[in-house]
Amino acid sequence: MTNSKTPTYKLTDQDFRQINRRSLFGFQLGWNYERMQGSGYLYTILPQLRKIYGDGTPELKKIMKTHTQFFNTSNFFNTIITGIDLAVEEKEGINGEETVAGMKAGLMGSFASIGDSIFAALIPAIFGAIAANMAEKGNPIGVFIWIVAQIAVMVFRWKQLRVAYNEGVALVTTMSHRLAALTNAATIMGVFMVGALVATMINVKFAWAPKVGTVPLDIQNSLDMILPKLLPALIVGGIYWLLGRKHMTSTRAIFIVLIVSVLLSALGLIAKG
Amino acid sequence: MIAWWQIALLTLYAGYQILDELQIYSAMSSPVFAGFVTGLVMGDMKAGLLIGAAMQLTVLGVGTFGGASRIDANSGTILATAFSISSGMKPAAAVAAIAVPVDSIMIQTDILARSTNTFFAHKIDKMVDQYNYKGIERYFIAGALPWALSRMIPVGLALAFGGGFVTNLAKILNTSWKWLGDGLATAGAVLPAVGFAILLHYLPVKKHFAYLILGFTFTMLFSTVFGNVQLLGTTLAGVAKGFTTSFNGLSMLAIALIGFAFAAIAYQQTTSGSAGGGANAGSGSSAKATDEKGEIEDDEL
Repeated sequence: MTNSKTPTYKLTDQDFRQINRRSLFGFQLGWNYERMQGSGYLYTILPQLRKIYGDGTPELKKIMKTHTQFFNTSNFFNTIITGIDLAVEEKEGINGEETVAGMKAGLMGSFASIGDSIFAALIPAIFGAIAANMAEKGNPIGVFIWIVAQIAVMVFRWKQLRVAYNEGVALVTTMSHRLAALTNAATIMGVFMVGALVATMINVKFAWAPKVGTVPLDIQNSLDMILPKLLPALIVGGIYWLLGRKHMTSTRAIFIVLIVSVLLSALGLIAKG
Repeated sequence: MIAWWQIALLTLYAGYQILDELQIYSAMSSPVFAGFVTGLVMGDMKAGLLIGAAMQLTVLGVGTFGGASRIDANSGTILATAFSISSGMKPAAAVAAIAVPVDSIMIQTDILARSTNTFFAHKIDKMVDQYNYKGIERYFIAGALPWALSRMIPVGLALAFGGGFVTNLAKILNTSWKWLGDGLATAGAVLPAVGFAILLHYLPVKKHFAYLILGFTFTMLFSTVFGNVQLLGTTLAGVAKGFTTSFNGLSMLAIALIGFAFAAIAYQQTTSGSAGGGANAGSGSSAKATDEKGEIEDDEL
């Protein structure tokens, strides 16, 4: 039962290129609420599965069904899981099915959180901030700096499949140490940049000028003497607190801030700086 | 008025940007790029960049976490930019008056797209049963349609039919309801604070609060100095004809480099701290980790 079903196909360079192409340009097209990236995972490796198991075999149907099950991870790391998976399937064929299913379910969560924090939050935050800062002055160069950075990320996404295929699960352990250090460093830069953004990108000031006797008191100027940019810092602090409340979503927070700002502006307390 | 070719180009971009974001993630699906493109198409790049920048900062911390639907800042930026330029609404007011409401309405079409794709997932199951490989691929690629249309239809319709309404709105906001127009502009200036606060919730602020203070203080001091020098320069140029030097504003890239240096120091400290016994520690932890993994797969290793 085992010998005849152990596949003999070896993946070629062309296979890796095809998987990478499908992953980069197609992995999430089928995203849906029921099984999220399930069909995308199958689509990415379908030609290789056909070569490993052979068209029309019951093994192929079984493994295709395995790969359309629920799957969701970072689309910046998905081919690491694919690489580890194919190394197993190529060697063990359908006997490796349970191993593969377990490995996919076991790794997708941790890669999702690392991938989201680095590639969906930190990099866009840092480069988005630089791009937005230049854009505010009418300069589009920052946008292109960001695009160049994303192209570097694409190269990284392209390379990882081969590395994962060669090194298997051992890669995850060697990588996790490096990634932890990298994530820590990246969050430091992220926090630093948020501080910088608070100080530059919230252009609002006190407009309220109560009269002391007959002399109007310039509140903004008095505050500038204590600490410039105090008002933006207070606003961010306030919203940070607001977001920590129960039942608060980012969309609700945006609308609350919008309405409160319009009211305070109408009352003459704050104005665009 | 917005010309038909402008509507066509912007509608196409609205479809492209969501596919870009799902796939290659090239930053051409960012609000700031959306503003740039729309500004170019509409003939006022600066207004586009301004609106794009404001929306970029507002959604700075809102990543794609676990596939949850989130505010669609790109479609909002396209509409706000196009209408701001065509109707003469102030860019800052357009952010609050158009981009934010549009963004939140578009969450619904996003949910619709993700639900529609469930239908294709079931079609793929059928194709798997029939060994129909072309069918699997066809129904998978078809998933691009709900995604793209969920952006193209609302953006195209709004651009084609929303112009009159927005022009009237812009007129009112600039005249009889000026208090509201100013208020919306102020709100547009405050909104980036939401993006920063969301990002802070996501980052380990308590652990790294010192860097938050550093980033804020460095930038606050430098931007005050640079701002005052610029003000001095323009004032002087207005008074003295011979004064032609112009001063640039603070470079955010320079500030980012300072932040990068702090991050690099921290990275070196963590890696050298444990990599002193580098190889040993590495192999030790990997042995431990394979033990943990052992419950999932013991035959492969």
